[in-house]
Amino acid sequence: MDTVKRIYNKNREVYRLLLIIVLWMIFMAITKFKKFYSFKNFQTIASQFPEYGLMALGCMLCMMTGGIDLSCVGVANLTSILVVNLLIAQFGAEGSMPLGYTVVLFAVAVVLGAVAGAFNGFLISTVGVPPILATLGVNELLTGISIVLTGGSPVSSFPKEFCELFSTNIGGVVPVRLVMFIVVAIVIWFMLEKTDYGLKIKLLGTNQNVAKFSGLNNVGLLMKTYITAGICSALGGMLMMSNYASVRADYGSQYTMQAILIVVLGGVSPNGGTGKLSGVCTAIVLLKLLESGINRFHNISSYYISLIWGGVLILALVMDYFSNGQHKKV
Amino acid sequence: MKKFLAMVLALAMIMALGMSGAAFAADDEYEIVVVPKDSSNPWFVRMKAGVDEYAELNSDHEIYQKGTDEIDATKQAQLVEDLIAQGVDAICVVPVDIESMDAALKKAMDAGIVVIAHEGAALTNVNYDIEAFSNSAYGAFIMDNLAQAMGEEGVYTTMVADLTNGSHNEWADGGVAHQKEAYPNMTLLEAMPRVESHDNGDTAYNVAKELFKTYPELKGIMGTSSFDAPGVARAIEELGLVDKAFTSGTGMPADNAELLKSGVVKSLTLWDPALAGQAMVSLAIKVLNGEELGDVVDLGVDGYTELQLREGSETVLEGQGWVTIDAENVDSFGF
Repeated sequence: MDTVKRIYNKNREVYRLLLIIVLWMIFMAITKFKKFYSFKNFQTIASQFPEYGLMALGCMLCMMTGGIDLSCVGVANLTSILVVNLLIAQFGAEGSMPLGYTVVLFAVAVVLGAVAGAFNGFLISTVGVPPILATLGVNELLTGISIVLTGGSPVSSFPKEFCELFSTNIGGVVPVRLVMFIVVAIVIWFMLEKTDYGLKIKLLGTNQNVAKFSGLNNVGLLMKTYITAGICSALGGMLMMSNYASVRADYGSQYTMQAILIVVLGGVSPNGGTGKLSGVCTAIVLLKLLESGINRFHNISSYYISLIWGGVLILALVMDYFSNGQHKKV
Repeated sequence: MKKFLAMVLALAMIMALGMSGAAFAADDEYEIVVVPKDSSNPWFVRMKAGVDEYAELNSDHEIYQKGTDEIDATKQAQLVEDLIAQGVDAICVVPVDIESMDAALKKAMDAGIVVIAHEGAALTNVNYDIEAFSNSAYGAFIMDNLAQAMGEEGVYTTMVADLTNGSHNEWADGGVAHQKEAYPNMTLLEAMPRVESHDNGDTAYNVAKELFKTYPELKGIMGTSSFDAPGVARAIEELGLVDKAFTSGTGMPADNAELLKSGVVKSLTLWDPALAGQAMVSLAIKVLNGEELGDVVDLGVDGYTELQLREGSETVLEGQGWVTIDAENVDSFGF
């Protein structure tokens, strides 16, 4: 038991969620084996979670610094709308796009995401607006611009080559969207674990003043964090555009809350200073498995999805409390 | 820790046992799912009642309605993708947003799933789309009701859930066209010919209040979604415009009984969503059975016994399912 406990405590953020995943998978195996354990189902799951998974990754970095990013959906939608406008301007609404142009689209998306993120970062680090207000304001601003650009209606006449490319599965097995998510996750893992950036933002998240007087460049770190988050959201927007083959100012409006739920569930402290990428990635998968599993029960209303998500969050926190040994101290 | 784990495991087992009763139902012939815009809107609660009733009468098939917890185009598209992965036999859908749903339905058609839509005439990836009636004829029908209330004269405008919603805009167009033909003394408000309510009573109320304040000459608002006319009516009542301003449009009887009886709204128009749901399922079974559909389709559901293809379309079937609700018959609908 001690060995188990030691392994569990070594990476608690991940193992407590893995435990919940295993329980859920057993539960699904008992109740709906045929409908849940199919290749197609897992493929659908793997192609659905990247769009908000990317937003959650960006939000994770912000939360590690003690901040938050409420602007992810606004950034995602504005990016996809501007990219579509670019496509229409270049090739016409009915035209076709050479596949090589995908690189240009991504370059544009990354730049747009970086600009939006830099704006967030500037407001927070230099002007000193609290992150929750700054990003909320930026979200409203960007959503407003999106509505003005589209008149509130969806845009669906544009060259679809990009959407088709991102809806395919490599070798008929691995969804391209999943590959995209993994690539971004690896980049962020590299930043957090292989450079001193990870340590620095956690120090910044723990105590801003100490970080400052330890000689850290707080402004630079915050800018870097929010720019990365902006890029993640912009890429999430590109995936949404490919999935729905259309863009609209209010697609995915529930993703903001979902991203925050994921990050907290993944073991990132809302006060900043702690958190692991592996925990957040596990939380992303867990949430989707729960949602998809609940959809298999047709006599259970969809209302239960948020109920169960909330229940899982509390369960994870309770598991933390017990395995921390905090109950013994009281 | 051990005790705690044991507790969690036990809890999971109990839950599993509780749910497995439903899970081990006999193998059904067809699994047919109805996907509404969301599951709390009274319109779709009523549709669910109809679908459930139909499911009981046809218990050799597995028929049920499953919606998302809030109106959201992305959520609905993901639910449909989930159902495709599950391998259901037919999906009957009332789309929130035509564009994103069409992309999801393409995957369903590719997977060999029968797709029946309702209020989605512009969808391309469907076997059939059922409309309770020809949209322009229903629009004209609403206009008749509004014109009667307005005394066939005055300035009016139209309200839709979203400017992107397929059917609502066709009703509004039909209503406007009918007015130009039949009611020459009425005029459409040039500055704001069409406003949005987003399928939300509060939005409809606020938009209407704004409109009546900005354009004092405005005498009537033609509603389309089931939230429009009731929302507008609240604004009329609050601004003290009863019998000076009028509204008509789709509305659920029970929710609006007070408005109709107090005379704020003279009449509402409707078709029964329960029957629309049943018609979709009935058509899905016909298509799954490979039945040949003639020129006139009889689905065995009231108002859907003489469906005909819309002119120039190969997928859109239109019925004759409209009714007027007024103070006198409002209590006779039972929902």
